[in-house]
Amino acid sequence: MSVTKSQIDQTNTAASQACWSCQAPATGAHFCPACGKIQPLPAGADYFAFFGLPQKLTIDAGTLESQFHKLSWKLHPDNFVRASQFERTLSLERSSQLNDAYRALRDPIARVEYLLLHLGLRKEGTTKQQPPPELLEEVFELNESLDELREARADGGDVASLRRSLAAAQANFQEKLEEVDAELATVCREWDIALDKHADDAPVDEAQRKVLLARMNEVLNRRSYIRNLVASVASELAEA
Amino acid sequence: MGRTVGIDLGTTFSLIAYMDPATNSPKCIPGPHGSALCPSVVSVDEDGKVIIGEPARQRLLTQADRTIYSVKRLMGRGVSDVQDELRLFPFHIDADSRNVIRVRLGDKLFTAPEISAFILRELKSWAEDYFKEPVDRAVITVPAYFNDAQRQATKDAGRIAGLEVLRLVNEPTAAALAYGLHKQKRGRVAVYDFGGGTFDISILKLISTDEGEIYQVLATNGDTHLGGDDIDNDLQRRMREKITELFHIDLSKQPEAVQRLRKALIAAKHELSPNDSTTLRFELPGGRLFDETISREVFNRWIEPIVARTMGPVKQALSDAKLAPTDMDEVVLVGGSTRIPLVRETVGEYFGRAPHSELNPDEVVALGAAVQADILESGVKTMLLLDVTPLSLGIETMGGVVAKIIPRNSTIPASAQELFTTGVENQTGIDVHVLQGERELAKDCRSLARFQLKVPPGPAGLARIEVKFLIDANGILQVAARDLRANEQRTIEVQPSYGLSETEVERMLEESIEFAEQDFSERQVIESRPEADTILHATEKTLRDPRSNELSADERRSIDESVAALRAAVATTDYKLIRRRIDELNQATMHLAEILMNSALQTAVQGKRLEDI
Repeated sequence: MSVTKSQIDQTNTAASQACWSCQAPATGAHFCPACGKIQPLPAGADYFAFFGLPQKLTIDAGTLESQFHKLSWKLHPDNFVRASQFERTLSLERSSQLNDAYRALRDPIARVEYLLLHLGLRKEGTTKQQPPPELLEEVFELNESLDELREARADGGDVASLRRSLAAAQANFQEKLEEVDAELATVCREWDIALDKHADDAPVDEAQRKVLLARMNEVLNRRSYIRNLVASVASELAEA
Repeated sequence: MGRTVGIDLGTTFSLIAYMDPATNSPKCIPGPHGSALCPSVVSVDEDGKVIIGEPARQRLLTQADRTIYSVKRLMGRGVSDVQDELRLFPFHIDADSRNVIRVRLGDKLFTAPEISAFILRELKSWAEDYFKEPVDRAVITVPAYFNDAQRQATKDAGRIAGLEVLRLVNEPTAAALAYGLHKQKRGRVAVYDFGGGTFDISILKLISTDEGEIYQVLATNGDTHLGGDDIDNDLQRRMREKITELFHIDLSKQPEAVQRLRKALIAAKHELSPNDSTTLRFELPGGRLFDETISREVFNRWIEPIVARTMGPVKQALSDAKLAPTDMDEVVLVGGSTRIPLVRETVGEYFGRAPHSELNPDEVVALGAAVQADILESGVKTMLLLDVTPLSLGIETMGGVVAKIIPRNSTIPASAQELFTTGVENQTGIDVHVLQGERELAKDCRSLARFQLKVPPGPAGLARIEVKFLIDANGILQVAARDLRANEQRTIEVQPSYGLSETEVERMLEESIEFAEQDFSERQVIESRPEADTILHATEKTLRDPRSNELSADERRSIDESVAALRAAVATTDYKLIRRRIDELNQATMHLAEILMNSALQTAVQGKRLEDI
């Protein structure tokens, strides 16, 4: 680990109105169109914009990957070994942003999480851990079975039948996870359609926008709860 | 500016390679003993002189307590990390070492990066002798599963050796680069790298794009404390138990005998790769002979648990890459331990295909490093490596829980921003603890560093400090902090948990120059003088030959002048001047050389130098 002020000094590399090298007007592009020099990241730019994409949630994986490779060729620090310290810093910033962006956008779930995070509707690493109301009863039963299994294991009791009922519960929740994924896909499609309308110069429907984002957030929370449940049952079954 | 090379700084052997422009392929550079393998062994003699490589390895048998091997296992580690194996090593570790291990060799203490720097300097001198040019920049390889501290220690070693480290490249990735270049392969490749001290598995995708070939690492895993050394240590334990049982001899107070035993059992291990059985012969202190026949079957049973330990990381890497064993288009074996038949069988069976090992498993990593060095140096890019960070990066939160901010197998460079604020009124500092690892709790992860963000006193939650964590293309973490309210950059004083400070590295660099036997120019002067003597002598001799009267007066005067100039140059310590005068004299005597040849042969030897005739 190394710390030097110059290495990732964001104050000095913050994007300005003009190209740092030739003073041509800044466009927000990776390279200055006039002199070809690598440019600082504009403040507040999101991962979608980095790839030149709108904030839509349907992204073709193949196209994204080939774009990722194209940008890697241009931005990777390998290209800047003999450049100035300043340009090396910019390359480090831009190429790390490229990799961070690709990591978030290539996965459909991470993509939604990122969008909500970027719009300030979700905090990183925090998911509500209350069970969704409609699942309360099933979750309660499942937790009981889990406790019984742990006890039976500790006492050396018969675990076979408990295993069977837990496996059934796990399959049930796995099914629910798939339902949630389908639900999320639907909201995402609605979001994309709303964005398309906006692109056709229709006025932005702020109310609809808010509703859709809130739904995404709710579905994501439910999804993360069920997923953790499935994972913990799987690990208990593996140990038993 | 000097040459750029690729270096494999290995546990058992180290190698140096370069890209040969004539063949456009990488080549290893041999040392003075004719082999390209430099034993990673360093010894300090009674006068304090440092001995490196093969001669140091010889001293393991006579001066075991002044000689260190497998120093790579100590890189970036603290004393508590290596307690178990230190019992098997004859080195003396300084008791005050704590988070930087210091080894006593003779009457001086050395850190692991300093000892590695001796090996790097030795390899550097091999290359300088080979090129007759200084070498000052290098790509150095590291195990893919090396953590931040181990990587930083390797980079420090490079600096102490007087090398600018252009890049640290992961060993399996370097091997894939050498293989890809060799075979022009596409598709998914698993690289199984089982070396002397470390084990790595990397899953790569080789992609052709309009711009060139991309080597994208999808996932990597490994164990930085698993290698042929563990097999040797296990054999040693078994044989020592047997010796104690049969002869009531305890070798623990006899380091030279332990080293002789180690040498004998390593030879036995090597024998068991091509043969079904071997006999280990070892003369005990006191003269009696310990004779033990080992069959491959028994050997396999002994080492099976060690080989099995490699499969956990293999499965994890595949699962992280979301691939099945049969999805691989190629499986490549790297590292000396993959010569063991049980290793080849285990890997072949798991992937359901015969693994490749066409390239020399000892050399392939250094060759790949040379390819990457050339990519960085030449600026001509037809290949691009996209590697990953092997371990998740996290910060400690409430209750000692780790919040992961950059997941393992993220393509590097990678970054994450975290916002920190105060929890109580008038708090003036926020403590940040950075860790690497996959476990939930901070105490189970590797501590990288701690630092404190200074904030002006104020109400709780008012301060807003954004910290940017960035893993660079070497896999090394950089940290920067920014006060969002004041909109200014903040300096952070980081105390690395393991490793050397900047000032320590600087001091070691200065010291190592004193230690270095001779620097490049000194060696060049020493080598160029006998060459000058040879040509001066040859010239004088031929000028006495009657046939030399065929020379014109001008030619003779030119030779006389060149001879005088070379004599004057030899008196100086300027090796470049000596070489230039040698060339000039060769030039001046060209016609003389031709005259001396039989006229029938004359055309055949045109352009030859006098001393060659």
